[in-house]
Amino acid sequence: MGRIWRFGKVEFATATAISVVLLLVVLAAGYTAPAFQRTVIESLIDLLVVVGLYIFIGNSGVVSFGHISFMAIGGYASAILTMTVQKKHVLLQLPGFLEHIQLPSLPAAVVAAGFAAFIAWLIGMAFIRLRGIALPMATFAMLMIVHVVAQNWNEVTGGRRALVGLPQFVGLWTALLGAVVALAAAAFYQQWRRGLLLRCSRENEVAAEASGIDIAKERLLAFVVSAFFVALGGVLFAHFLGTITANSFYLDLTFVTLAMLVVGGMRSLTGAFVGTAVVTIVSEVFRSIERGVDLGGFTLSAPPGLQEIGLALILLLILIFRRDGLVGDFEIGSIFFRRAKENKDS
Amino acid sequence: MILVQNAIDAISLGAIYALAALGVGLIFSIMRLINFAHGELIMGGGFTLYVLTGEPYIVMAVAAILIVTVLALAMERVAFRPLRGANPATLLIASFALSYLLQHSVLLIFGSRAMGFDFLGGLNQSIEIGSLRVPGLEIAVVVVTALLLLGLTLFFKRSAIGIQMRAAAEDFDMARLVGVRADRVIAVAFALSGMLAGFVSLYVVAQGGSVSYKMGVNMVLVAFVASVIGGVGSLPGAALGGFLLGIVSVALQAFLPEEWRPYRDAFVFLLFIAFLLWRPQGILARRADRERV
Amino acid sequence: MLAVQDLHVSYGSVVALRGVSIDVAPGEIVAVIGPNGAGKSTLMRSIAGLVRPSRGEIRFQDSAIAGQPAERLVAQGLSLVPEGRRIFGSLTVGENIQLGATPRGDRRAAAADMERMLTLFPILKERFHQKAGKLSGGEQQMLAIARALMAAPKLLMLDEPSLGLAPLIVRKVYEVIAELRKSGVTVLVVEQAVHVALTASDRTYVMNAGAIVMAGRSAELRGTPGFEDAYFGAGPR
Repeated sequence: MGRIWRFGKVEFATATAISVVLLLVVLAAGYTAPAFQRTVIESLIDLLVVVGLYIFIGNSGVVSFGHISFMAIGGYASAILTMTVQKKHVLLQLPGFLEHIQLPSLPAAVVAAGFAAFIAWLIGMAFIRLRGIALPMATFAMLMIVHVVAQNWNEVTGGRRALVGLPQFVGLWTALLGAVVALAAAAFYQQWRRGLLLRCSRENEVAAEASGIDIAKERLLAFVVSAFFVALGGVLFAHFLGTITANSFYLDLTFVTLAMLVVGGMRSLTGAFVGTAVVTIVSEVFRSIERGVDLGGFTLSAPPGLQEIGLALILLLILIFRRDGLVGDFEIGSIFFRRAKENKDS
Repeated sequence: MILVQNAIDAISLGAIYALAALGVGLIFSIMRLINFAHGELIMGGGFTLYVLTGEPYIVMAVAAILIVTVLALAMERVAFRPLRGANPATLLIASFALSYLLQHSVLLIFGSRAMGFDFLGGLNQSIEIGSLRVPGLEIAVVVVTALLLLGLTLFFKRSAIGIQMRAAAEDFDMARLVGVRADRVIAVAFALSGMLAGFVSLYVVAQGGSVSYKMGVNMVLVAFVASVIGGVGSLPGAALGGFLLGIVSVALQAFLPEEWRPYRDAFVFLLFIAFLLWRPQGILARRADRERV
Repeated sequence: MLAVQDLHVSYGSVVALRGVSIDVAPGEIVAVIGPNGAGKSTLMRSIAGLVRPSRGEIRFQDSAIAGQPAERLVAQGLSLVPEGRRIFGSLTVGENIQLGATPRGDRRAAAADMERMLTLFPILKERFHQKAGKLSGGEQQMLAIARALMAAPKLLMLDEPSLGLAPLIVRKVYEVIAELRKSGVTVLVVEQAVHVALTASDRTYVMNAGAIVMAGRSAELRGTPGFEDAYFGAGPR
């Protein structure tokens, strides 16, 4: 197989453009109410998770229902690594070295995400040979298993009780940093030689295999890398809220993050960003309506629960009318290079 | 004696799982669509029963089955027909979205608490057979399932539309090329799937005595696992998968040591993964489980 | 009977047919030959309603049919036996044949036709209750044709009926096709085996790279100068 590598200027331009937009949002958010700042932080963390998802789903074309379990693993790992020794002694029953260890936030985050990636590697090695519908179903089973374990393993996760009092070091800038790092990684991955090999298999498995691409190997790598970033999202999530509970990492969050990915378009990094933005905005709008919105005269309000219904409806409509998502294959970085291309062709 | 008791429990649970798996497997075999919203069909049946509390049981039951069948047909017409031909990932997520939508709509209307009421309460009494005490409900389940399976088998073997459906499940495009009407076959598949979900909802309510917006979730997960185990595209396989899963569930419940009982579901899914690794195409699958090239 | 005009078909950004036009008159046997990838199968699939053309017209018995769903076309008298036979392996031979009559309303005529098929293809009568997947290649081809004939088609299209079959079987298949003409069925056949196609058909079209590059009476075509170039060449400029 010859070289199929090109420097991905479109991808890096995309990541940069999105990062600039995020920077502007964060700068502006600094002047708004704390409640709004919290929304921005949450959506930055969501973006981190969705970009992590995209690294696997977008490049391989395989839907994974289980990635939220890596979020749980990352979050719980970081919680255990950063909680005070006394708290761990009281709330949990951990083996000696885990009980006595206490790391500062950055090393803990990296170790936790790395641990989740390691678990992903172990699980992935088994899963990755599955074909067709079996692979998504296996990831679904993984979500179920991690959920049941997290809910019942009182000694390690606290079971159904939330672990509280985690150090809260995640603010606007930390969340922004996380999102930007993920964007850079995703941009790099999809223009990298191995990322391109994986994308070939997305289009046509048989042709890719016939060309000598080891699909299992490429999928495994993407699976592990994406798990790392999703886990990082879990870490930031836990240290933003200051608590962690098993129930957060189940079907609802799986649905919301998949919706964010698909609404924008599963196949492009820009799509991951657009989808997250659209879903966040729509959710906020519905949330305000639930609280009651003053429309010059009368109050428009709706019962709680409308938000989820609205989101599901919008997702369905988008899938029906624009099957490839709002932006499809389009990467925003490509608009910067169109003129150069036109000049070259003429 | 305990063993026989467990065996009966296993068979009756397996029967219900088989019906649930058939409901999911029917749609999957013809359309390659995993219908996450099948659980909400079961939920729909349950809530129909709830709304009709107080009516004679037979009225409640027939109404539930009819309404769920209509709901399934509506689901197909509104959500899945516009998506026909979309890639598998899109279909998967769309059915997930539909499931989410229906769950939260019911949550909005009825609230989150489980609501208890009486349906077939009398059947929960045990009947004495020899030295065994068997819950009447379990006997009813086995009998009804046997009748349904017999009816379905005859339907697929003898009726024109049944043969058309078997052809469509094997090779959808070729079926169209011999004149099989795609719309009709898919509609019948959804109607049957709804009918089966209706029967499952009767059982779930009779057994649990209550309904909630989340009541379909567990059953549909079981249905997926069972139909995948039984084999892609194989209806007898889905039924077989259901029975196997019922037996495994009861066995785990009976033989797992005490401290590990809360993890029972995790074990079931672990066994599922192990099974997928061993035989991803399922037990009775007739052809390679690979998406069309 | 069939008039295809300026048909353009693409799979995504890959152009498969660029402006194909062919005619088939009632009672004819017309062949389409060409190298692999010429677009012959795409042509069949578009006419049969499985693939939507991006441009062009298809007229069957004087009504426009481009874009209509496949099952409706079968009911109107257009049957395709696709490449690879594609019989329903998990159904019995009898069920396969019976399925062919799906679009017909008249039960009795359909039953009579079933008898006719079993007479025409005695091997199918022998294997009536066996699963169709167990038949040999040649038997499956007979089954596929019988199944298509059960719809009482006015135009029967066959995509590479000789593929993977021994020459003796191929001869038998084409004997059946010749018989069909006698009972008033018009035939359009795509073939890889050039010799067979030219011998069995009245007229032949040669396709290459998505377009018709030559056409004419089959008996004369082989001797025509430029025939080999048309077939083996790189396609239209």
